[in-house]
Amino acid sequence: MAHRGAGDGVLTRFVATRLLQVLAVLAVMSFVIYGLIGLMPGDPIDQMLTADPHLTAADAARLKALYGLDRPLAERYLAWARAALAGDFGYSRLYATPAVVALLPRLGNTALLMLSSFVLSLAVALPLGAAAAQRPGSLLDGAANLLSFAGMSIPPFWFALVLILVFAVALGWLPAGGVATIGDGGVIDRARHLALPVATLTVASIGTYLRFMRAAMIAALRQDYVRTARAKGASEQRVVWGHAFRNALIPVITVVALSFGSLFSGALITETMFAYPGMGKLIYDAILGNDFNLALAGLLFATLLVLLSNLAADIAYAAADPRITYR
Amino acid sequence: MASAAVARPTDELAIGVIQFPATLHPSINAMTAKSYVLGMVRRPLTTYDAQWHLVCMLCVELPTIENGLAVPLDLDGGKRGIRLTYTLRPDARWGDGVPVSTSDVLFTYEVGRNPKSGIGNSELYRRITHIAAKDAKTFTIEMDKLTFDYAALDDFELLPEHLERAAFADPTQYRFRTLYDTDSTNPGLYFGPYRITEVASGSHIVLEPNPTWWGEKPAFRRIVVWAVENTAALEANLLAGGLDMVAGELGFSLDQALAFEKRHGDRFTVLYKPSLSFEHVELNLDNPALADKRVRQALLYGVDRDAISKQLFAGRQPVAASAVSPLDWVYTDDVPHYPYDPAKARALLDAAGWRGEDGGIRRNAAGEKLTLDLATTAGNRIRELVEQVLQSQWRDIGVELHLKNQPARVLFGETVTKRNFTMALFAWTSAPENVPRTTLRSDEIPTAATGWRGQNYAGFKSAEADRLIDAIEIELDRDRRAALWHRLQALYAEELPALPLFFRADAYVLPKWLKGVTPTGHQYPTTLWIEQWRIEGRETAS
Amino acid sequence: MSTALAQAASRWRRAFAVPQAALSAGVLGAICLAVALAPLIAALLGADAHKVDLYQHLAPASLHHPLGTDELGRDLLLRLLEGGRVSLLVGMSAALAAAGLGTAIGLIAGYRGGRIDAALMRLTDGIIALPLLPLLVVLAAIDLRKLGLPTWLVQSEAASLYRIIVLVSLVGWTTVARLVRGATLSLRAQDFVRAALALGASPRRIMLVHILPNLASPIIVATTLSVGHMILLESVLSFLGLGIEPPLPSWGNMLTGAQETIGLAPQLALYPGLLIFLTVIACNFLGDALQDALDPRAQRR
Repeated sequence: MAHRGAGDGVLTRFVATRLLQVLAVLAVMSFVIYGLIGLMPGDPIDQMLTADPHLTAADAARLKALYGLDRPLAERYLAWARAALAGDFGYSRLYATPAVVALLPRLGNTALLMLSSFVLSLAVALPLGAAAAQRPGSLLDGAANLLSFAGMSIPPFWFALVLILVFAVALGWLPAGGVATIGDGGVIDRARHLALPVATLTVASIGTYLRFMRAAMIAALRQDYVRTARAKGASEQRVVWGHAFRNALIPVITVVALSFGSLFSGALITETMFAYPGMGKLIYDAILGNDFNLALAGLLFATLLVLLSNLAADIAYAAADPRITYR
Repeated sequence: MASAAVARPTDELAIGVIQFPATLHPSINAMTAKSYVLGMVRRPLTTYDAQWHLVCMLCVELPTIENGLAVPLDLDGGKRGIRLTYTLRPDARWGDGVPVSTSDVLFTYEVGRNPKSGIGNSELYRRITHIAAKDAKTFTIEMDKLTFDYAALDDFELLPEHLERAAFADPTQYRFRTLYDTDSTNPGLYFGPYRITEVASGSHIVLEPNPTWWGEKPAFRRIVVWAVENTAALEANLLAGGLDMVAGELGFSLDQALAFEKRHGDRFTVLYKPSLSFEHVELNLDNPALADKRVRQALLYGVDRDAISKQLFAGRQPVAASAVSPLDWVYTDDVPHYPYDPAKARALLDAAGWRGEDGGIRRNAAGEKLTLDLATTAGNRIRELVEQVLQSQWRDIGVELHLKNQPARVLFGETVTKRNFTMALFAWTSAPENVPRTTLRSDEIPTAATGWRGQNYAGFKSAEADRLIDAIEIELDRDRRAALWHRLQALYAEELPALPLFFRADAYVLPKWLKGVTPTGHQYPTTLWIEQWRIEGRETAS
Repeated sequence: MSTALAQAASRWRRAFAVPQAALSAGVLGAICLAVALAPLIAALLGADAHKVDLYQHLAPASLHHPLGTDELGRDLLLRLLEGGRVSLLVGMSAALAAAGLGTAIGLIAGYRGGRIDAALMRLTDGIIALPLLPLLVVLAAIDLRKLGLPTWLVQSEAASLYRIIVLVSLVGWTTVARLVRGATLSLRAQDFVRAALALGASPRRIMLVHILPNLASPIIVATTLSVGHMILLESVLSFLGLGIEPPLPSWGNMLTGAQETIGLAPQLALYPGLLIFLTVIACNFLGDALQDALDPRAQRR
């Protein structure tokens, strides 16, 4: 029985609390990542300072003495954090531009990739999971089960190779890399270039969402209120889609909320394999290219992206389930 | 691979490269991608052509002692310098109409000499003791040493004084203020057949003909250089028609080009040219095992380089006997050769005191194992394959090899420069008849005391090599010099400061209708002769 | 006690009655057997997974080389088996390590409850929510010498093996932790625990002596489920060049260069990945069936 949610005031407080938590996690992560980056081969202070155009040679020497590797980690981190909060993430060695300038365009590309994949996997997994739950033991159920296990077990980079082999090399229908054909760049061309990366990224998510949707739906269909609704004469459609489905969504949203991290991880592999110029590939190139500023900034933006998506899903969860109480 | 063909105008050329230049300044941060693009829009004073002869590009006549434009000088301490007189082409003008003049020359010298400006090749500028302008087009340069290649000023890249002077106001900021990066499309920066009209950072560069160009009219109304990092995408765009060609200097790797030729050789011409990239295994001679020449020779006998060349590179990358390329006129074959001979390798190792039971790793008298480390650039598939071949074949002769790969920046920035390695697999890129002073001379061994100057990472010390190097540099007579070079190559092949592997081949993938592209085989790119590229029989794609 | 054993036995039998579970166990068994027999197979074929023979570069399938050879002429079948040995070893060790860590965390969280539980579960959820791969890439790229480890250790061949096991188990313990916590929560309410408390047993004694032995089922289930996950993580990292380093083969690093030669030698791309896929899906089916059978509180299908 649905009753009115606890009220907007509580929702705002919930969002505010969660935002604070996001910031706290980000702060902790920034410290951890800063420390880790400092452990990469090469001299990190050198790498971070010498690419900066606003420094004179004297400045660089002075700063290096001030924040060099003999200073305690906390001090170096605070200096970096102060600059970062002012928007200065340093200069990227690989791209000869400020790190943020190198990052931002790629953020859009990754967001597009992740969003397309997310929408596609939900569009497939949710209805399929619900349908399979209604017919336990049937062929559809068996197929859905197999699909979900396959999706969760398949190595994404191998799946990408198979897709490339079949669709790009053997059949020649779709391109094996890049974001657009040179000289083209229209919507259809870009869509063709997105097809294989999105397919690669989607398969893992479909597996997880399908599994949880099916399980949640089965549990929901067993609940008392379903029997009550049926007894009251509600149509089967209404029972399934009106009540059970909506209630099954709730635990699924929990799983979905936690899946953005792995979606981004999948995007990293996908972008690297398809030369898709996104954040994941940028971070990978930056880490391997010893570009400390860019790697640091990229990792933090990625974490922020994931945490915010997480938060959005949590809000959806809270809004969907009127029975939630917020702390 | 069938894709929708992209229709493009016939007087436009789209070139694919795998890397986008980080900067467009001619003298800061050496990069193949950059010199490739700059080859279309500028000309050096002198360069080596496809026949490896030194020719004038921006100058009118090469100064020689014979024509009087080069005058040897006697300097203090019994040394000999030289005074050279160059005249800039009278019709050379920057893209904005300002003539290329000696004020540019003097400005370039000022920038190059300043240690804070960020200019890479400071060695050249250090050798210049005096520079003066005679008039607006003629200038003299005095060098502190009379070397046989005295007339070569290839790396003296002129900067437009009328534009760059302002950026140079604070020398330490020059490399960030230079118009080459902040205003790349300024016509006044270029005087070649083309000028840069559009730069999309990380993506592409557009070039259009330069009206002030003095030479042959170039064939293309528009050239676009596309940076495509993924070779599969490069290939796809080539087949779809979005790209017309892939630059050999920085495009497909050799095996990808071979595979491409097999599949699409009917639509494209693939040219292979060995380059001056000398793939070798640098040895740290401080390592006690490697200090023994017999061990080094055994290691070389123990590698089947012919098989690697034939099987992995389809024979396109010739086995190197020493650091001198077979295309170089001073090359000689009359040096010790090391064909694959595991028996001989084992004998040499035995003689060097490394004994092993059948199939085991050899040990010396003190019981230590013959274990060596090999580092190379991580992520370079070909090198990683070669490493594994080395490991397997050396295992057969009782040598244990540990592979330690590192990112390129770390390998070159720290490991090798500070001599923190045992063996390193990488490539030297040199120039035609390049004297190995910094790599072989005993006073060029990097140490902490010298601030890690020098490139003699092996730590090679040979009085005879030092003597030969010094003698070659100042020997003006070609025959006598050739004899010295032959002796140096024989010494190198005998002593093996490094294990020579191959000269890397570049693969140029060109459309059938493009003529006139002549791979040079050295580091000066084909684009320096871009006005000779011609279209013959091109139809619009359908 | 014997009835408990009999009950456990019947539950296990039930698990394997499910066709997928039996099939998965069979597949896994076959793979493990094949991998263990690698030296024997090598002797039979007269081939070697490590021996480079350039003249057999990309040779097609033959009697001597049942699956052909790779770019350096090494027998592909044997490399797959050797690679399997490494991948399975890493997967299982990491799963065990992760199980250890996860059990400790889940046990403490479930038993102690309250603030500790909330904090630990927040940590667990936090780790699950993070973008793990980029972080693993950084962790894999760090220079261990800067952590104070001696150079000889860092540069030893085993180093890359240990490093990947540590890395992968550092992020893989969450599944075990959650399952163990759930089981601990319900066990805590049971009579025998209350009795032990009444008799004055310390929390540590209760956790270790009374609760832990009864966690066997959830731990086994969780570990089986994480083996697949660990194998996937290792293969991704090795594929990116940050895990097991050549020439030591692992299914992941055998795929590293496969994209560039995919037109020329598709088999190099297909086989290693197929084996990863089969192993992981078998682990997942098996773990799932075990979960159904051994843990009656889990959702029934």
